Amino acid sequence: MNKPEILPQQRRENPDPEEGRTPIPWLVLALALALAAFGVVYISRSNLDAPAIWGDGRSAAELAGDKPAAGAKVDGGAIFTSMCAACHQPTGLGLPGVFPPLAGSEWVLGKPDTLAAILLHGINGSIEVKGTAYQGAMPAFGGSLGDAEIAAVLTHIRSTWGNAASPIDAAAVAAARARLADRKQPFSGGAELAALP
Amino acid sequence: MNTLSILMSAFVLSLVGLGFFIWSQRSRLLSRSADGSEVIFARGEIGHPETLTPDRSLKAGAGTVDSQELLDRAAADASTAAVVFFFYCCAFVWLLVASAAGLTASIKLHAPDWLVSEAWLSFGRIRTLHLNAVAYGWAPMAGLGTALFIIPRLLKTELVGGRYALLGGALWNAALVAGLGSLAYGVSDGMEWLEIPWQIDILFVAGGALVGLPLILTLLRRKVAHLYVSVWYMGCALFWFPVLFFVANVPGLHRGVEAATMNWWFGHNVLGLFYTPLALASIYYFLPKLIGRPIQSYNLSLVGFWGLAFFYGQVGGHHLVGGPVPAWLVTLSIVQSMMMILPVVAFTVNQHLTLKGHLGALRHSPTLQFICLGGLMYTASSVQGSFEALRSVNVITHFTHYTVAHAHLGLYGFVTMVFFGAIYFVVPRVTGRDWPWPRLISLHFWLAATGIAIYFVSLTIGGWLQGSAMLDESRGFMESVRITLPYLQGRSVGGALMVLSHVVFAAHFVRLLIGGAGRTDQSSTRLSAPGAI
Repeated sequence: MNKPEILPQQRRENPDPEEGRTPIPWLVLALALALAAFGVVYISRSNLDAPAIWGDGRSAAELAGDKPAAGAKVDGGAIFTSMCAACHQPTGLGLPGVFPPLAGSEWVLGKPDTLAAILLHGINGSIEVKGTAYQGAMPAFGGSLGDAEIAAVLTHIRSTWGNAASPIDAAAVAAARARLADRKQPFSGGAELAALP
Repeated sequence: MNTLSILMSAFVLSLVGLGFFIWSQRSRLLSRSADGSEVIFARGEIGHPETLTPDRSLKAGAGTVDSQELLDRAAADASTAAVVFFFYCCAFVWLLVASAAGLTASIKLHAPDWLVSEAWLSFGRIRTLHLNAVAYGWAPMAGLGTALFIIPRLLKTELVGGRYALLGGALWNAALVAGLGSLAYGVSDGMEWLEIPWQIDILFVAGGALVGLPLILTLLRRKVAHLYVSVWYMGCALFWFPVLFFVANVPGLHRGVEAATMNWWFGHNVLGLFYTPLALASIYYFLPKLIGRPIQSYNLSLVGFWGLAFFYGQVGGHHLVGGPVPAWLVTLSIVQSMMMILPVVAFTVNQHLTLKGHLGALRHSPTLQFICLGGLMYTASSVQGSFEALRSVNVITHFTHYTVAHAHLGLYGFVTMVFFGAIYFVVPRVTGRDWPWPRLISLHFWLAATGIAIYFVSLTIGGWLQGSAMLDESRGFMESVRITLPYLQGRSVGGALMVLSHVVFAAHFVRLLIGGAGRTDQSSTRLSAPGAI
């Protein structure tokens, strides 16, 4: 073995450490016993036989959750944020030339039945909103949203961003759904919608 | 037999077994040598603190009284210098990468429209990049580098096959670059801590094996009869991590609930059985080294080590409290989480006994400041983690920022602080150059300590409020999000201080490297400077 060069940093440091033989303090031993006792008590008091699919520590009743009470309010704003805002924007102003605005829109503030029809079946064609023509490609939500949810989101857009039209209830949406039950295609544009009764 | 009696008897029997095992180790029932716990090093120098004044008599004393010890140390260092230097350089790079990614992710939580043009900058990816750059970049590079430095010193031999470790380190870093690239591109295995695609993991396994091999060969060539406690921790970390990593990444082995259980078995054990032992080993080495006093209790070291080894493997299930996993598994993990208090207290008491009466050394040694803060944070984060596992606390903190604060107290306050201290001690020994600006070390320390304090306090409060809001049926979900906003901003402030401290640290390192080669010769004057470590 070549004699290595010894750096001043190595020379000035302490020798490598070693271990003394102080006995374990009795407090640490007492802690060990206390923890072992805790473990025994904790295991003996836990409910181990519940089926795993319930999750840990919960009963079947808790997992069933609260059924929505009759007439509980559906949050139209939340539905708008998750399903509509991507095109119509959180401001309700749409994107000029691409997605029509909802704020101040004559379609939103107009006949509830027509508005419900747009959501139920969508639009595929030209529609004029506030004097500007849009090539509409509005998806249909009749399959994915229930009557109460459609009513809630329609009520939301009719009462936000300065809009102040009457609320729409689930019964009105249900009626529109029944009336248009035969329809399989989206509406072909503003002209067809205007012709609805 | 019902589940309860099986679980109870397994718990009690294993505790009794562990107690007997530790006692048998203490009583040397399994040892061939007569003095297993006896002092292994030549005596003669114990009892003086790390001196900071140029002391000629000491210098001469070290040269004459105990020159074999010094020669062994110099030979060990000479054999590891290149490979340790390589690992540390990589650690610096990943520290900066991880810091940038972490701060970006933090800011995005309260400014979601910032940097949204690129997919790889989106929160889901940049946070994952941060986690992986820390978990597989900074922490293992700094930890393995320190292990490569310490183990040959403690075994009084030279590192065997350092070239394999260099090759392994290079493979490991190549794998990490590929892994982070694929995560940024959007390709991921989809489990936290295990995001890197398994095809790339093969490279990690190969690289890790090449790093571990020289350490095993060195262990076989050891010239000491008794293994110092640091060697236990580091040797076992190098055995535990490959097992964890390999089992967790075998594709198609675990599915569904099993995969989730395995996921947290890995996620928690990689903290407790890899980073923690590497950092604890560093504390066990540097703390007595710097104050010039032996670790006070071999008995407590035994309890601390075997307690960690035995209890830790079973605690991962507490991440699944409330999940659809068997109740016995979660109950056992909660109990073992609480049992972890025992090894943590044993470690803490041992360090306290060692440090008692020598606190003055803290004023002069920045390394010791980092190491002591790290040790304190180990105690704090471990005890906090034990109580966090209890169902009554977990019901509030689960799925909140509180958990994130806890994770950073452990991995930053404890592990990273200790590695900072280790790097400050080791770099002058492997480069032969002293840190040029000791004041920058203090600046680094105070920036990092203040940063993690702000980080931890604000996220802990914010997380607790968030959890309470989520449990309150009368408040909407969005309220539980909005309530955290000021605390998330506070976290970004703390995080920015931490990042700044890392920049100071890295700049200081670069200055040391490009500084004049003549530093070595000036070391006698350096000794009187506060930065001499």
